[in-house]
Amino acid sequence: MTVNDLVGSLPLTVVAGQDKLAAEVTGGYVSDLLSNVMGFAAPGSVWVTMQGHQNVVAVASLAGLAAVVVAGGAVPEPETVAKAEAEGIVLLTTSLTSFELVGQLYRSGVKGQ
Amino acid sequence: MRRFVADLHVHTLLSPCAAVEMTPRNIVWHAAQNGIDIVAITDHNAGDNVTAALAAAKGTDVTVLPGMEVETKEEVHFIALFEKPRQLFAWEKVVAAHRSGRMNDTDKFGAQFVVDAEDNLVAVKEEMLLASLTLSLAEACEQVTALGGLAIASHVDRPAYSVLSQLGFIPPGLALTAVEVSRRTPRAEAAQRFPAIGGLPVVTASDAHTIEDFLSGPKMAFNLEEPTLAEIRQALYNENSRGVVL
Repeated sequence: MTVNDLVGSLPLTVVAGQDKLAAEVTGGYVSDLLSNVMGFAAPGSVWVTMQGHQNVVAVASLAGLAAVVVAGGAVPEPETVAKAEAEGIVLLTTSLTSFELVGQLYRSGVKGQ
Repeated sequence: MRRFVADLHVHTLLSPCAAVEMTPRNIVWHAAQNGIDIVAITDHNAGDNVTAALAAAKGTDVTVLPGMEVETKEEVHFIALFEKPRQLFAWEKVVAAHRSGRMNDTDKFGAQFVVDAEDNLVAVKEEMLLASLTLSLAEACEQVTALGGLAIASHVDRPAYSVLSQLGFIPPGLALTAVEVSRRTPRAEAAQRFPAIGGLPVVTASDAHTIEDFLSGPKMAFNLEEPTLAEIRQALYNENSRGVVL
């Protein structure tokens, strides 16, 4: 399953990394603590968070994540979007809550590791 | 030049988590009795008890610095320190515009008391202070600095409410003057234990919520000409022969 498959089937909006949507999604992780994500998210995961700070992009890059979803209608900061674009990180948004989105991701076949 | 002992992070009874014994007058009295020369009053997202602390310190050798412990929208705590009350008042206006609007639940979180320099109750603060503002860390530090204040990241060695716990590392370009470690980390070991601090100066403070915390908690000692914030800033950066003693 690719990021593009998820974007096609779930209410997700691409805000950065349009050209990286072919990346394979191998799992999922949800946390708003960036240090926790750095420590525990496996490469290839789609990460669900409500943090829109630019450190999110650095963490996604460091952990080799397939995509980041900023959930709950939270709006990523402009610097975050610019940085994601510059570093080739897929940044998505959704108005679904983290709980709702994770439920839908799980039903789509994205599992934790 | 002389040595000044400073505690840059002290809560009064305005903070719902602090004991009622933490009146400005009692804090200043204990500081004077115990050789604590400089006390920063840093309540959560509010500065209502600073005026009383400044009044209580009149005629003593204790210098009170107007301050606040700010919680940003990323749930990062930092200490904003100012030289003059008017700078804090200007900052309070920014904070007031970025509060959640929720009211405090005294039963769950504790009461938030505003008092005068004689320990008389002036008001009970209704808004919930233990909550994040809608202001980002970067914006908040920027605005504190623009008002002439210092921004010091609180207890970066703690697993919650610290810039390192919330954001993983210190974002580049953040207008931070220093980072603080709590009593659980010796200041000399901070840079080694938390490499993410980078080259920022490290301070320690009591983060006192009781008088016992205040007296037993860690302090800084600075070599300064005068007990001012401008001099403390120079000491943190070893400028003009100001410096940190321990």
